[in-house]
Amino acid sequence: MQQSNAHRLQVVLPGDALPVYEHKLKLGPGLIQDEDQIIAVKGGVLKHQPAGNKYWVESNQRRYVAATGDPIIGVITQKGGEFFRVDIGAAHSAVLSYYAFENATKRYRPNHDVGTLIYARISQANKDMEPELECVNPATGRADGYGELKGGQVAKCSLGLARRLLETETPILKDLGDHIPFETAIGLNGRIWINADTTKNTIVVINAIKDSEKYPESQSRQVVSNHLSKW
Amino acid sequence: MSRQELLNPGGLRIDGRRATELRKIKCKPSVLRQADGSAYIEQGNTKCLAAVYGPREPRLKSQIIHDKANINVELSYAPFSTSERKRRAKTDKRILEIASAVKQTFEPVILANLFPRSQIDIYLQILQFDGGTVQICINAATMALIDAGVPMRDYVCACTAGCFDKQPVLDLNNTEESSDSPELTVAILPRSGKVTLLQMESRLHVEKFESVMNLATEGCKAIYKILDKSIRDNMKDATSNMI
Repeated sequence: MQQSNAHRLQVVLPGDALPVYEHKLKLGPGLIQDEDQIIAVKGGVLKHQPAGNKYWVESNQRRYVAATGDPIIGVITQKGGEFFRVDIGAAHSAVLSYYAFENATKRYRPNHDVGTLIYARISQANKDMEPELECVNPATGRADGYGELKGGQVAKCSLGLARRLLETETPILKDLGDHIPFETAIGLNGRIWINADTTKNTIVVINAIKDSEKYPESQSRQVVSNHLSKW
Repeated sequence: MSRQELLNPGGLRIDGRRATELRKIKCKPSVLRQADGSAYIEQGNTKCLAAVYGPREPRLKSQIIHDKANINVELSYAPFSTSERKRRAKTDKRILEIASAVKQTFEPVILANLFPRSQIDIYLQILQFDGGTVQICINAATMALIDAGVPMRDYVCACTAGCFDKQPVLDLNNTEESSDSPELTVAILPRSGKVTLLQMESRLHVEKFESVMNLATEGCKAIYKILDKSIRDNMKDATSNMI
């Protein structure tokens, strides 16, 4: 989600009351209303979007909580009668119907085994039900990159890093691409998939991306050259 | 056998503290890489490590609650934590009682209804024991839960207080706990002052109760400031690279 209007770097912790007194505002994740006050329930940075007067807390946690529309990387753990059961690292496994693929019909079923890596989109996420996935872009009906991920390597990262990598303003992927050709899939559940031509390059890319979290964005070129020079 | 003087005429306790002085606290969140949230805290010579996992898939189908998350607390004492090496079983009644007290303390504070049919695990380990198990477990669990990003209404801070010869004292260590002094453990939500746990061992005269309880509450607020500073510093480091 690109939030070019989001600013105001204020760190909030559970129990902190927010100094906003407007009547109509939208509360996003990490905020609840307690009588006439708004209190934060998570630790993180308070963000605000003037369009729609939205407030939310952006926290950097490691455990993913499913949300509709998120692209995620999952592993098939079971083949059911009409669907796959997929582990996405959240509180429940997700369900991927056989028909949620491009060109799927009753005769043509996707032939993936247990253990296959899947790049999918969460079509429905509700706290009372298991999350549901789809491997098509709902707008176009085509696969658009979703589906099985062959080869490569998956690494775990924090949710904040995954979110930042999906924003086009984050320079680390571009800077890495200037030196090493690779393809990548970013899952907002804290998993990133990298496929470069050699094993060494794959490892360099993964280490550089994980390292980029510790440094500000202005130093991303430096981070890339540090990792390239180690070999 | 001579009875040890817990509070000498000069107003000093056996470890040199004054009656209303807390033990020195050192705390640090995010100490374990593999856990969703973790914290390490020292209060005097008592050291505790907390790890939080969740919300995640429940281990046993029997523990699933349909409309909120199941909060599971497991406590263990390292065999080297006491002056005499002793391995305690996981089903030790005293340990289960403390774990149950911690679970009941957090149940109204964690917003468990956001994660139905899942489980939040809090693992606590006492690495060195010098009194104040319940309070240090609650303080460590609070820090670890905030580090894990589990939504909570407020911090939960706990402190113990006792009474030697009609003088209320704050934060008892093991020797003071083992004496015949009453021990009151209080856990509060600092922002609102609401109490989520109130436990007492031994007997305390009802006239003295209010002053001992007020002293423990003041201790909780002082501990809150220390925990809050540590978490804010850690969060500032983590968010300094965010836009």
